Amino acid sequence: MGTSITYTEQELVVALKERNDQAFGFLYDNYAGALYSIIRQIITSNDELAGDVLQEVFINIWRKIETYDQTKGRLFTWMLNIARNASIDTLRSKSYQNSQKNQELPDNVYKGVANQTTQLNVDNIGLKKVLEKLKPEHRVLVELAYFKGFTHEEIAEMMAIPLGTVKTRIRNALLQLREYLK
Amino acid sequence: MNLQDYIASGIIESYVMGLASESERAEFEQMCAEYPALVAERRKFEESLEHYAAEHPVQPPSEVKVKVLEAIGNTDSRSTSFNSTKIITMENAKSSGNAGWVRFVAAASVILVIVMAAMYYHVSEQNKTIIEQNKDLSNTNDRLKERLDTTQSTLDRIVQEQSVVSDPNALVVNMVGTTVAPRSSANIYWDSANTSVYLVVKNMPKLPTNKQYQLWALIDGKPKDLGVFDATDEKVILKMKNTQKAQAFAITIENKGGSPSPDLKKLQSMGKTMVTQ
Repeated sequence: MGTSITYTEQELVVALKERNDQAFGFLYDNYAGALYSIIRQIITSNDELAGDVLQEVFINIWRKIETYDQTKGRLFTWMLNIARNASIDTLRSKSYQNSQKNQELPDNVYKGVANQTTQLNVDNIGLKKVLEKLKPEHRVLVELAYFKGFTHEEIAEMMAIPLGTVKTRIRNALLQLREYLK
Repeated sequence: MNLQDYIASGIIESYVMGLASESERAEFEQMCAEYPALVAERRKFEESLEHYAAEHPVQPPSEVKVKVLEAIGNTDSRSTSFNSTKIITMENAKSSGNAGWVRFVAAASVILVIVMAAMYYHVSEQNKTIIEQNKDLSNTNDRLKERLDTTQSTLDRIVQEQSVVSDPNALVVNMVGTTVAPRSSANIYWDSANTSVYLVVKNMPKLPTNKQYQLWALIDGKPKDLGVFDATDEKVILKMKNTQKAQAFAITIENKGGSPSPDLKKLQSMGKTMVTQ
């Protein structure tokens, strides 16, 4: 794949819609790390499964590129949402739930140690690093909504707080997030 | 609604990050179509989000890229770089159309070879049998021929004997035993016309293997060798050497092969011709 060729986003979208595999190689080389980051922030305990999801995400990007509408957002935003949705779907799949049950004990046992090892600390990558700067009551709502995929209604029920409060707190948290990203 | 208030509500972030509800999304998209400033604000947030993500990547497993490229190569039909794969597939599909015919011909060929092999085996087995039978017949034929030859020669001798015996010119000399061998007897048939001499042994004792009987013609007191014979040739007419003259015939026992002059002490049989002078 020609990594020597660079594309503007507009050129890249056109090339991808023309099924240019060189452009797809460029896309992978430039975005795989960013998308894998969001996948790992959602699928925290299974590297192999996260790799499978990344593979699925790129295959879906290639297959669904026709449906990408530039008027609704940037290419990366579109891809980020594909990655997030795929990760949450995997998170909620029965096979993942079962694998989590099996890993429950070692997870709890080594939780304290994990932070000090060279292993990837998924609590400290990407957006989650920014989340730490939020107030705890805001952080938990973003965590549940964005990284766990719960709807506002579900969160309201879980946390026993009004739906309006959930929505407001999440929006405020996101606005703060935006400030931290700058 | 005031646009600034709308922007400040956090709808942009909620929309971009996929946390807005269906109705919120529809409303936001409609607002974007109306207000380019809103689109510009959305774009700003998207860029900062993308920038942050690009700055904080997590290296994915290296095998994922290979798997992804393999997967899209196998599924996509419009990619030019994977055209060769497509062509191979089409050729395979095309040849698979002929595959039925090819398989039929192949199967038919195999069956034909098997049938021919079976036929060859059968015919060669038959051939072997025929050759064997031929050999047997040939052997039988040879044996029959031998027997026929023997029979013919016997018949010839009988006919010859008969002709000699019945020949009006033949002179029969009855050989009688001597004091040495009183029971020895034989007949001489002497055809004076063609000088042929035939001997029919009637009763001659068996001799040791190194001895033979010898027939002599006595002409003017001198013995003339007429050949040797064995006692085993009993009852069979023997053609002896010719002689034009003979006053008498004599049989002696000599060493095998005969002697130039007879050992008269061993004179076994003697007969005088009728035409003695």
